[in-house]
Amino acid sequence: MFYLQYLLAELRRRPGRTALTALGLAVGVGLVVIVGALSRGLDDAQDEVLEPLTGVGTDLSVSRPLAVPDDGGSGAVGPEGPFGQLSEREQSELQRENENGLDFDLTELGDPGDRFTEDRVVATDLSFPTSEVARIRRLDGAEDAAASLTLNAVNIEGTVPEASVPGGAALHGGEFDVTTVGVSGVDVRKPGLATVTPDQIARGRYLSESPKRARGEVVVDVAFARQNGVGVGGETKVAGEEFDVVGLAGAPRGGAASNAYVELGQLQELSDREGRVNAIQVRADSADAVSGLEIEIARQLEGAEVVTASDLADRVGGSLADADNLSSKLGTALAIVALLAAFLIATLLTLSSVQKRIRELGTLKALGWRQRLVVRQVAGESLVQGAIGGLLGAAIGIASAGIIDAIGPTLEASVEQQSSGGFDPFGQGAVSAGGTDVVLGAPVDAGLLVLAIGLAIVGGLLAGAAGGLRAARLRPAEALRSAE
Amino acid sequence: MSKVNDITPTYELEEATRSYGEGSTLVLALDALSLTIKRGEFAAVFGPSGSGKTTLLQLLGALDRPSGGSIQFEGQPLEALGDSGLAELRLRAVGFVFQQFNLIPTLTAAENAEVGLAPLAISRAERREAAEEHLEAVGLAPRARHRPTQLSGGEQQRVAIARALAGSPRVVLADEPTGNLDTRNGEMVMELLTRLHSELRITLVLVTHDEWIAERADRVLRLADGRLVEDSAVPVAEEVAQ
Repeated sequence: MFYLQYLLAELRRRPGRTALTALGLAVGVGLVVIVGALSRGLDDAQDEVLEPLTGVGTDLSVSRPLAVPDDGGSGAVGPEGPFGQLSEREQSELQRENENGLDFDLTELGDPGDRFTEDRVVATDLSFPTSEVARIRRLDGAEDAAASLTLNAVNIEGTVPEASVPGGAALHGGEFDVTTVGVSGVDVRKPGLATVTPDQIARGRYLSESPKRARGEVVVDVAFARQNGVGVGGETKVAGEEFDVVGLAGAPRGGAASNAYVELGQLQELSDREGRVNAIQVRADSADAVSGLEIEIARQLEGAEVVTASDLADRVGGSLADADNLSSKLGTALAIVALLAAFLIATLLTLSSVQKRIRELGTLKALGWRQRLVVRQVAGESLVQGAIGGLLGAAIGIASAGIIDAIGPTLEASVEQQSSGGFDPFGQGAVSAGGTDVVLGAPVDAGLLVLAIGLAIVGGLLAGAAGGLRAARLRPAEALRSAE
Repeated sequence: MSKVNDITPTYELEEATRSYGEGSTLVLALDALSLTIKRGEFAAVFGPSGSGKTTLLQLLGALDRPSGGSIQFEGQPLEALGDSGLAELRLRAVGFVFQQFNLIPTLTAAENAEVGLAPLAISRAERREAAEEHLEAVGLAPRARHRPTQLSGGEQQRVAIARALAGSPRVVLADEPTGNLDTRNGEMVMELLTRLHSELRITLVLVTHDEWIAERADRVLRLADGRLVEDSAVPVAEEVAQ
């Protein structure tokens, strides 16, 4: 107990030295807390951005896309457009996929000058049999899977032009309007794995839960509804068919975004694609199973592209991604350097203190204190200083994190977004970037605080060990002599 | 430890030497010193600065080890003891009084008196009682809660004496105990030491370069250049006059 008395007396009655040592450790520890909190805040922000990318519960998305060259928006079709840039094999695959629906000879619609209206449903992804869904569902590591079909419903109204080149042509002469509606057919029995999920509904409701009841219903994208004057309770035409609008949905960031969502079976019928789908959403039974599933699906489904959440994470750009990079590289390095500097400062201050107390420690030895008791005294003082530094550092970290939370800086996350709504009817697809703002927080949890205080105590122990070693080497006579 | 009886001297030094450095830088602080100090004796070690007085005291107090020769404490050779053994000896048998008091500045007078008892396996209450009893003996009980900076030089040295005696040592070694005190306080401290020596029947070895202090001792050991040049009970002043 005397040692404790002595220890507390030393800390209390040499407040300057105690405060300096504790503060040195506190700054290092505080920085660790801030960097840790910011890192977690950035992770949370990333999760917030990414969650809608895959939909609730979707770990992998499977499709068979073709690489669509960017034609600079010329809108040219056929050999002059992006279609013409695909390989022969790909052109033939796409033709087969669309059952020659890409062939478009307007001269067949009437005499030049005649009014016409034409509806076509075309796809840019290759499809596969619906039976693949069940096969994927049976794979090890897969908990569930659901299919979807995403197409472009193209409506052309106008007058027949003078000439047209079969197989897709640059239209010239005549007047016409092209309306494209990106439409996805979803499995309403598995809303959690659909390309639009119930939590995206901004107004109205989701599609009915049975395929029979969902026929004739459509959920429309909010932006599309606004542009086209469509609202809940109204009607809209998709692929030449009238649908009742039951709900409006917000656009998912980065995922396949369509203008309209209908029941899968109905879209398959409308597009003559019974038994075919062109996307599968998969839920893994554990986080560890995702990478194995990715490999197995790619192996079993020829030409499949399998996208996981971590793949999507790489698509996140903007200041959020920059901040995350900065935090993981520079922030971590800064925290390590600050911590090492804090340990060094604490050690140097302890050594300096031992040097100043040489006569005192020599006197203790002269009075019969054994070496280990003197070392314990010095190390104990450092340990308590470390604990004080840790608590102070934790307080600094918490306060700083609180300030960041209060300020709530906004970071921008831009994500590559696939939108069939931007599809040029006679081009082969377009990619537009979507951006969103997220508020950066700095959450501090108990684990981080325990780590921070633990680091400070380690720092105190290191300093105490150094000081104790110095004190242990003191010979009483030398110590007393050196003070004279 | 060998059996100690009343005739066993407290110290027996046989050709004790302490040197520092080597070759051309060799310094002989003590040069083949042989002497015996009896139990209960009050011996003054007298000599000019650099004569080896403090070195001798450090060897007697097992604060240092001789470079040559032997030192026995109550019949036991000190060279046979390791560092722990020497620490144990200092804890239980030896009390120190230093010229500069060497009190712990962050502890009170009572806590300073206790500090020498801390390594002993005694209760807090026993330790406190011993400290307060010895503070009382030196007349400083009312100042028990004061820290050294709040005490005068004389009071600090009295606290140091209480600390030295708190463990009931058999020997007290005092290194220039009045060196940092004015005449009045120095006189007070010497009276205290002399009285306590007499009451407690402890062996007292005191280093000084003051004649009037040496005169108080039963025996004077005069050192010069690390050698014992005179071992006498005759007061120094008379010798000088002669």
